[in-house]
Amino acid sequence: METTLLLNTSMLLTLMIILTPILLPLLSKSFKNSPALITKTVKTAFLTSLAPMTIFMHSNAESIISHWEWKFIMNFKIPISLKMDQYSMMFFPIALFVTWSILQFATWYMASEPYVTKFFSYLLMFLIAMLTLTIANNMFLLFIGWEGVGIMSFLLIGWWQGRAEANTAALQAVLYNRIGDIGLILSMAWLASTTNTWEIQQTFSTTQTPTLPLLGLILAATGKSAQFGLHPWLPAAMEGPTPVSALLHSSTMVVAGIFLLIRTHPMLTNNQTALTTCLCLGALSTLFAATCALTQNDIKKIIAFSTSSQLGLMMVTIGLNLPQLAFLHISTHAFFKAMLFLCSGSIIHNLNGEQDIRKMGGLQKMLPTTTSCLTIGNLALMGTPFLAGFYSKDLIIENLNISYLNTWALTLTLLATSFTATYTLRMTLMVQTGFTRMTALTPVNENNKTITNPITRLALGSITAGLLITSYIPPTKTPPMTMPTLTKTAAIIVTILGILLALELSNTTHTLTQPKQNTIMNFSSTLGYFNPLTHRLSSTNLLYSGQKLASHLIDLSWYKKMGPEGLADLQTMASKTSTTLHTGLIKTYLSSFALSILIIILST
Amino acid sequence: MLKIILPTIMLLPTALLSPQKFLWTNTTSHSLLIAFVSLQWLTPTYYPHNNLTQWTGIDQISSPLLVLSCWLLPLMIMASQNHLQHEPQTRKRIFILSLIMVQPFIMLAFSTTELMLFYISFEATLIPTLILITRWGNQPERLSAGIYLLFYTLISSLPLLITILHMHTQTGTLYLPTLELIHPTSTNSWTNTLSSLALLTAFMVKAPLYGLHLWLPKAHVEAPIAGSMLLAALLLKLGGYGIMRITLLTNPLSNNLHYPFLTLALWGALMTSSICLRQTDLKSLIAYSSVSHMGLVIAAGMIQTHWSFSGAMILMISHGLTSSMLFCLANTNYERTHSRTLLLTRGLQPLLPLMSTWWLLANLTNMALPPTTNLMAELSIMIALFNWSTFTIILTGLATLLTASYTLYMLLTTQRGTLPTHITSIQNSNTREHLLMTLHIIPLLLLILKPQLISGTFS
Repeated sequence: METTLLLNTSMLLTLMIILTPILLPLLSKSFKNSPALITKTVKTAFLTSLAPMTIFMHSNAESIISHWEWKFIMNFKIPISLKMDQYSMMFFPIALFVTWSILQFATWYMASEPYVTKFFSYLLMFLIAMLTLTIANNMFLLFIGWEGVGIMSFLLIGWWQGRAEANTAALQAVLYNRIGDIGLILSMAWLASTTNTWEIQQTFSTTQTPTLPLLGLILAATGKSAQFGLHPWLPAAMEGPTPVSALLHSSTMVVAGIFLLIRTHPMLTNNQTALTTCLCLGALSTLFAATCALTQNDIKKIIAFSTSSQLGLMMVTIGLNLPQLAFLHISTHAFFKAMLFLCSGSIIHNLNGEQDIRKMGGLQKMLPTTTSCLTIGNLALMGTPFLAGFYSKDLIIENLNISYLNTWALTLTLLATSFTATYTLRMTLMVQTGFTRMTALTPVNENNKTITNPITRLALGSITAGLLITSYIPPTKTPPMTMPTLTKTAAIIVTILGILLALELSNTTHTLTQPKQNTIMNFSSTLGYFNPLTHRLSSTNLLYSGQKLASHLIDLSWYKKMGPEGLADLQTMASKTSTTLHTGLIKTYLSSFALSILIIILST
Repeated sequence: MLKIILPTIMLLPTALLSPQKFLWTNTTSHSLLIAFVSLQWLTPTYYPHNNLTQWTGIDQISSPLLVLSCWLLPLMIMASQNHLQHEPQTRKRIFILSLIMVQPFIMLAFSTTELMLFYISFEATLIPTLILITRWGNQPERLSAGIYLLFYTLISSLPLLITILHMHTQTGTLYLPTLELIHPTSTNSWTNTLSSLALLTAFMVKAPLYGLHLWLPKAHVEAPIAGSMLLAALLLKLGGYGIMRITLLTNPLSNNLHYPFLTLALWGALMTSSICLRQTDLKSLIAYSSVSHMGLVIAAGMIQTHWSFSGAMILMISHGLTSSMLFCLANTNYERTHSRTLLLTRGLQPLLPLMSTWWLLANLTNMALPPTTNLMAELSIMIALFNWSTFTIILTGLATLLTASYTLYMLLTTQRGTLPTHITSIQNSNTREHLLMTLHIIPLLLLILKPQLISGTFS
């Protein structure tokens, strides 16, 4: 009893601490927000959130608290219920730690921004929405967090609102997410009409969930986590400021889709169709994103595609029926992905906004801290043994290898893994080694506490997080213990193959020949022709039919002609026809009138 | 009931006799006072009716709408101040007079228990609205808009009158609670089908159902701001209210009666949303979005379950406030740039930053962002429809997607992007406008905390 109380109180305390910068300015006029204050708040919240995590590790106590409820429909209560379990307990400190570092970095990166406090409040609200999503035990509350991250990402990606690209990217993010929302609404509708509750733990009572609501959940995750088909918004979101990309890609927003599937996993677990869909979708997205990353030259785009690829891997893990492992990958991924973005932010800012890796090179000498952390992050991403990524990625691939699954998904995932090594190494080599290819006289300087501190802190996290998390959280399912050497080392082998490939490729790039245009190369560099195909076609069709069909043909032609104008025309025609009969022959009219009256009188 | 209606009628002499200096102050504060007193109707009760008199009764369906109509009167008066600034004093008085004239009729329509009185007050609202549009509109096209409004409503409401009279000869009473028990049109015969159709069509036009909606964008575009607010927030809700009352009478509807309405309403939600995407006129865009939202209300009214009625009620109230707010915002832009064309009023965020916040909030509620009441309403309607037929989720889902697209299109075009050079010097936003927006958004935000006040079920 005492443990639960302690757990709940400390968790709520964390939430309250985070809410203070939003609530206090509303309550008192003298309270002024500032970037430093918000950063400190998040730091305090991080330290506070360590307490419930420790309690949880010690006692393994889970609890659900419900407060005050919404009741807008008779007999259907929607309490605000929060779930303290392994996922929310672990996610809170990680998200807060990563956000703290990102915010600290942003004080330097966004220093010249006039509305910097507003920017920080937006980032904080983004984080709060994500935390609401993770701790929610009710589909409605989860939906609040879900849409909250969506709309905050819209505001943040479109932060530089004068730029058309930023606005388009923001719009893309919301619209692709809305497609996913249809899926979530579908599942919520199904839950409400069959189980009459949105409390997540009560929905699991049904033994076998039909495929339709599960497909809805998968669609929701596809939209939010940028799986294949609904992925184009993720690379486009790079238009936002770098701290936003870092937050968006590490611990908020994009992992929300995977997190939804982890939360609702007991519904999925018995349905083979849904699991296979997850598996194939994940494998396809991981390979597609990795392929696109191979030929990108924008440093942020490469990292964005690597996120997309890792999200695919998480989806594969869900498909393997291993939600805990997927969560582990979310946790480790958060550290090195945030760090990679901060490093790229540092490089970009130092090179006066240059994002093209072909115009970098030799930065190892100029930005030693940043580039060494970039290397650590890249190595962790590749799954180098004993860095953070290894603990989750290697396990995922081992599990994939020994499970009874289709070879197709396995092949795609392995291929994507080797591609990961290739593009990360390509980025490392292009950015850090060789001759400098940037414009002279750019003042390169990283001697600022607000750059080095967050980056090194995250680097520490990327090195140790995997070990720490795996040693303190016991796995719920027995991991594979014995397997043939080839299977065991498969992940490392394909990674090494990828590295060799990248080294070979980098040798050829130094010979300075124009890369030949071939189909494969074009496919990769144009992002699989996906954007021109879908964006052009669907929007043209929709807008065209909107104008021609809905507006011109139906509204302004048929409805108008059949309704008001048709009636008016009918009247005009009738009156015109009868006018010709009335030509002013008064005598004739009068006499015919008199005659007819006479006849009537006589005849009666 | 009279406690509110009499002061509302006394607003008429107030508008006529107030000294010139205090004209706006008196009418606004008086109507605000009435609005505050009317809040008592929201108190939950276990009886079916709250204030039952011989000819009026307030139940859970009518009380939120009544409070909404009382709330909107001061807002309408406040919104019209600017465009009447240069008019002579008498014209100002007459304008306020015609605004106030609608109010007692709307309140009677929402609260009456007698079908005939409902019909009379329902029709009586038409006259002041017509005056507002044809006298106070800005362009010559206002006359054709007035004709559209008048004839669409009249053509559909004459059958209503005949059916009501027929019903009276058949059953001998037009008292709604009694009629609900009798179910005058429940047997399946041609007479009853036709009379149900006649009963419904009048409200379908008012709501408006897709296909019978042509008068709405025209009227909205041509009306002055108060007229747009009145139409969007109250008169459309009169249609929705009528549908909910009548479907209770004709319960259960035969399939061949409610299928066409449901199909048209849902399909119309899609079509009007895609029209919104191509709209160049800001006010027309908001008007079409009203048609799309009211389509959901009509569909919910046809389903006739608890869920759908709750959804329809919440959606009517929250859409009333949201669309009225959007019209006010469009009007603030119009008063500055004298253009409703979206292309000409772009990128206003740097110039009017606080206005931009209101735009954001209004648009977010319009696209039903959780946890706004709009979301609760849309969600419960979608669930009710899903329960009725699984395939409706495709239509409703696409409708939410399109709603998000056109709402954000409106937001991005008006607020974001670079500022065109021709509007770099426009007047600042003033306190009156901010107060107006605040008074719209505050009820919306507060209702999130207690949506059961407006859900039609005081459970």
